Amino acid sequence: MSMFDTFGNATDTSGRKENTLRKLHRLNTALRHEEPDRVPVSDFFWGGFTRRWRQELGLPAETNPYYHYDLDLIVTVPNMDPWIRSFETLSETPEEVVVKTGYGTIMHKHFEFPMPEMRAWELDTFDKLEHAEFDDPRDRRRFYEAGDNQIAGVGDGFERNSPAWIDTVRSLRPDFPVYGSIGEVSECLTRLIGQQNAMLWMGEEPERMGAVINRIGAHYLECAKAEIDAGKGLIDGFVIWGDVAYKKGMFFSPRYWREYFKPWVAQITAYAHDHDLPVIYHGCGNCKSIFQDYIDMKVDGYNPLEVKAGMDCVELRRQYGHGISFCGNSDVQVWESGDRAAIRREVLRKLNAAKGGGYIFMSDHSVSSGVSGETYDYIVKLVREFGNYPIQLPPDMDEKL
Amino acid sequence: MKDKPDDFMQDFKPLYEAVLNGDANTAKATTETALAAGVDPLKLVQEYMMPAMAEVGRRFESNEYFVPELLLAARAMKGALVLIRPLLIASGAQPVARVVLGTVKGDLHDIGKNLVAAMLEGGGYEVIDLGVNVTPEQFIAAVKEKGANIVAMSALLTTTMPSMKTTVEAIKLAGIRDQVKILVGGAPVTQKYADEIGADGYSESAAGIVALAKQALN
Repeated sequence: MSMFDTFGNATDTSGRKENTLRKLHRLNTALRHEEPDRVPVSDFFWGGFTRRWRQELGLPAETNPYYHYDLDLIVTVPNMDPWIRSFETLSETPEEVVVKTGYGTIMHKHFEFPMPEMRAWELDTFDKLEHAEFDDPRDRRRFYEAGDNQIAGVGDGFERNSPAWIDTVRSLRPDFPVYGSIGEVSECLTRLIGQQNAMLWMGEEPERMGAVINRIGAHYLECAKAEIDAGKGLIDGFVIWGDVAYKKGMFFSPRYWREYFKPWVAQITAYAHDHDLPVIYHGCGNCKSIFQDYIDMKVDGYNPLEVKAGMDCVELRRQYGHGISFCGNSDVQVWESGDRAAIRREVLRKLNAAKGGGYIFMSDHSVSSGVSGETYDYIVKLVREFGNYPIQLPPDMDEKL
Repeated sequence: MKDKPDDFMQDFKPLYEAVLNGDANTAKATTETALAAGVDPLKLVQEYMMPAMAEVGRRFESNEYFVPELLLAARAMKGALVLIRPLLIASGAQPVARVVLGTVKGDLHDIGKNLVAAMLEGGGYEVIDLGVNVTPEQFIAAVKEKGANIVAMSALLTTTMPSMKTTVEAIKLAGIRDQVKILVGGAPVTQKYADEIGADGYSESAAGIVALAKQALN
């Protein structure tokens, strides 16, 4: 079980339920910075959370948080691996597995640990990176065939033979607004050569690395276009995955990001918009130094806005007004504490950012196995109680924007 | 052998500049030249390399440098240290302190830890890097074996952060708490958490680790 393995229950995929259309209207209204009936809610759930949530709430084995809470959005991932191929198992025990993936990454997954380890990379020199030729971005297997893929397969869980993306989309869309997604260059580099090599080579030969970034950027732009084309009429929006910041700020200089990374995000966003798909950018860390750039690119929403990196959607609303929607920013560390009073304060304060629309309630990254089932249950009920428009918060939680 | 700092700075400033600018080839070549000329290796470290890494840290803190520049500087410094370290050992020179460093049990992330290691080495510390997924027992064994003065722990995930507390408690149980200062850092870690688990210090970034270690030891 992992974060991206939700396959829909729908057997009749011919149409969408009235409730689904209502959720889609809610979501789109919020992203247009208008006030829908209530604040949309969604999230990304670790497999470890879902297991304990079922157990703690006494739910049947196949119960899924998206269905159980009738959440307003689900994000799907196609096969983004540069090379579409099955995992090569290098070693395996009941406790752990080591595989080589379609990124050429040697991944070690210990089943007890929440996240995998990238141990080595097939592209371990600059020359190899420079000369690497990826599989066709429009290869049908990315969207239409089941198979191993690293993003869906090796994360908080370990899954083989993930279903075809298009089948996942079709299975979910009767019940949910469904977003497609693509990783941008930074996400690819982390997996393709490791974050340390990526940073080192950027520093060592910035222009030569810039040329590589542009080549990979063009590849993923084409992947995004192919996905949007493949999902024509089936997907409702698009997420771009890209991590370029950490707790204190950018990994590399904003100037470098603007020169080599931003243009590709801008083009993916523009293509999605040309197809009437709103865009949410997912980028961890403290991205304040480039936040205005996302507004300039007309990105519709920003996720996850990590509190531990100093991001605060109420402050951001004061600073940027309704230039962009906020998707997330509820502090999962407070959720993990289980302290109901603190959780209530955290949830209600962030709802200030929902005034006038432009807010999707989510954690500030993902719901970890450190969050109890009762806590998440409490949080959703709290948002549904206080997240009805017009937002009316208790006086001690109500803030002027 | 030259012994006036001004002369060093004039003659071997390229070493300072090479580390600061992340130029590994120049750092190595300058070090070789200096050592061949009989310059005291300890002074090369103290007069050029440590100030250079301190300046790298300052620039990193003030967003003039980012991770790529920090990694390049660390690599340049390490290249020079490879030449210098055997001479320091032979001369009996001691590091500022010995640090046992690792990412805690259950956590397999390492870039933050690696940056901390680089800054500490640049600050004159000997770093015993235990890698990732380090158990409390491994931290304790390394402290005993190496005679370390500092244990530095890193965690990226909120769910692995509690391993820091477990390790602090294990160090207490092992009877070596008084021998070591315990420093913590990583994305979810805060000063409040460091205080709660009884650590001696918390650094918000890799660049702050040298000052923190110095403060803790004093």
